[in-house]
Amino acid sequence: MSNDQSSQPDTLNSAERATIDSSVAAPVILFFGTAIFWLLFGSVFELISAIKLVWPCFLDGCALLTYGRTSVVSVNALAFGWATPAAIGIGLWLTARLCRVELARYKSLLAAGIIWNIGTFVGVAGIFVGDNTSISHLNFPGYATHILLLAFILIAVWAIVTFNHRKSGPLYVSQWFLVAGFFSFPWLYATASQLLVWNPIQASAQPAIAAWFAGGFFNLWLAPMGLAAAFYLIPKAVGRQINSNHLSLVAFWSLLLFGAWSGTSRLIGGPLPAWMVSVGVAASVMMIIPALAVALNLHFTLDGHYAAMSWSPALRFTITGVSMLVFTWVFTAINSLPAVSSVTNFSDITRALNLLGYYGFFSMTAFGAIYYIVPRLTGKEWPSSCLISWHFWLATTGVLLAVSVLILGGLIQGFALHDIGVTFRSSMDFIFPFRFVAALAALLIVCANLAFALVFAGLHWSLRRPGTAPALIAVREENSQEPVAV
Amino acid sequence: MNKLTLLFTGIFLTFGSAWVGLVAYPVANLGQMQPLPNEETGGVNPPTVSGLAIAGQKVYAANGCMECHTQQVRPDPFSTDIAKQLGKRQTVPRDEIREHTPFLGEYRIGQDLSNYGARQTDAAAIHRHLYSPTSVTPWSNMPSYSYLYEYRKIVSQPSAHAIQGLTGSRAPKPGYEVVPTQQAEALVAYLLSLNQNYPLPESPEPTAK
Ligand code: HEC
Repeated sequence: MSNDQSSQPDTLNSAERATIDSSVAAPVILFFGTAIFWLLFGSVFELISAIKLVWPCFLDGCALLTYGRTSVVSVNALAFGWATPAAIGIGLWLTARLCRVELARYKSLLAAGIIWNIGTFVGVAGIFVGDNTSISHLNFPGYATHILLLAFILIAVWAIVTFNHRKSGPLYVSQWFLVAGFFSFPWLYATASQLLVWNPIQASAQPAIAAWFAGGFFNLWLAPMGLAAAFYLIPKAVGRQINSNHLSLVAFWSLLLFGAWSGTSRLIGGPLPAWMVSVGVAASVMMIIPALAVALNLHFTLDGHYAAMSWSPALRFTITGVSMLVFTWVFTAINSLPAVSSVTNFSDITRALNLLGYYGFFSMTAFGAIYYIVPRLTGKEWPSSCLISWHFWLATTGVLLAVSVLILGGLIQGFALHDIGVTFRSSMDFIFPFRFVAALAALLIVCANLAFALVFAGLHWSLRRPGTAPALIAVREENSQEPVAV
Repeated sequence: MNKLTLLFTGIFLTFGSAWVGLVAYPVANLGQMQPLPNEETGGVNPPTVSGLAIAGQKVYAANGCMECHTQQVRPDPFSTDIAKQLGKRQTVPRDEIREHTPFLGEYRIGQDLSNYGARQTDAAAIHRHLYSPTSVTPWSNMPSYSYLYEYRKIVSQPSAHAIQGLTGSRAPKPGYEVVPTQQAEALVAYLLSLNQNYPLPESPEPTAK
């Protein structure tokens, strides 16, 4: 397959681009707008849960707000209210652009967006009233899962039709990732819902499937969608071609193969056949390959053009996001080695790695993509470059602070849980200050998301007249060769 | 050659391989496990549990206990669980067959509960802890499950089910009592049933060093 892709994202002229963009505008804005609501909602509940861990009296003794519900609500609202719709929105826009077709019937997509949000709402409400299924990332009760799958089928049908109508030409690397993501998600979600939630099979067979789903949800759904955006935006924003098609191929196929098998590494020593865990550990370690391939490829593409990061919010967020993906995969590889996981398993390091992957990588990349896409859909510019800057620094500081303290604290906690001579109470005393800082970091993340929501709302309520210059977060250098791509 | 077909086939094969290994294989090979006969008692291993304990699984799930508690004892060298006396042997798939969903958990914010019923047999003590964890363990960050209990005025005679010996800020005032709801009773029955101290051939107890 090495010669059937172009290294150029697309060769549309600006008029064609504008027609295609405006044809997808309504559904994409719908997905982004609702996603941002759930982002705020989920991160507020993440903050509440983080506070509860250090100060258990906070909102205690109330069924709706008990820790076991707030933390599950935050994870699922972020995964299915924010991340998945954001990925869908990015995917719709990229599909239309890369297949070079105008969107014909967008009403079905609007319907899908509305149904999806009803499903998320029902699922979150279900957790609050006590219908949590208690399967990680599949906590929504069965009656909500049906609604979500129905919405996704509408989207998948649209994606298949669009791919079939695409203008002929080589498939660009982002398109591979899009196909992989749009294909994997329904398969993962339908299989896991059927076997674990709707008609659960015997519990003895469930752990492997649950782990397969949790691993696949990140590595085969969110990672491909985020990378599709990165492989499109980064070359476009600096006006260059993707450095190496061979590296893209390596990244793509190694991600698919190892990502699909990686989920079980977390269950080391758990109640499932040992070979499944061994395969999972091996696959998690092999994730170093896509990590390196993505990092090198994008680095060589950007080489000499990193300066554009200083004024383009889209580029700054996307590059930060992809770097965190590389770290997520590298840390997960280290953390799944048996010698390491015997100490770190069940410690707060798991929280750190989840945060790094879901927020550090996916959310940051999605922010970058949204900053890039929305002005092109609406013809309006972002209202405030100052707020965008705040968004970036609050989000980056928040996530890096939380991840570093939880890794450090998690290591100490892990050694305490591991050491036969140390009591359980000591493990709690050791981790306490780290959880305290992590709660502060969760507050920073809420503020970052709030800044983002304000920027997004400001654009739609036209706080800035159309036709003004793009919102750059720094002054462009006088003699810069970089094309403007905010 | 149609490039999209090639791409699609490749994705199908990579994704499908993991699906066969991690989904179809467990469904076919682990999905119909039976309890084993126990010659000593004439019963089975794992022993059957009461309907109330099974109802308790739903309460455990609804309140998100597995956000903080694991239920899996891992063998050496992957952990020190057995040396730390969380259980006598490794947890294996057959241990899960009484559960609707295996509550393996991802965090040990609280202790592992796989064998909680083996170290705690006093239902009243569990009620006191669930009602107000900090009154039993001052350094705990476990939430209070007081909403699973009814705080009420004693009319004529105190209830026989009322929890005795409550201390701390949530303790009932004179003339009041705290009575477990059906949900609390089910949850405690479930916690008492957590006990993997029965032999299974696939999970021998490691011989002491
Ligand atoms: C916020 C995290 C958290 C949640 C949620 C939580 N616990 Fe705990 N749990 C702890 C901590 C910490 C301890 C240890 C301190 C203590 O004994 O209170 C503990 C201790 C326990 C113990 C005593 C364990 C032992 O070995 O002595 C039991 C039993 C228990 N929890 C049951 C539950 C049940 C049932 C639920 C759900 C209704 C639950 N816990 C929810 C944190 C939590």
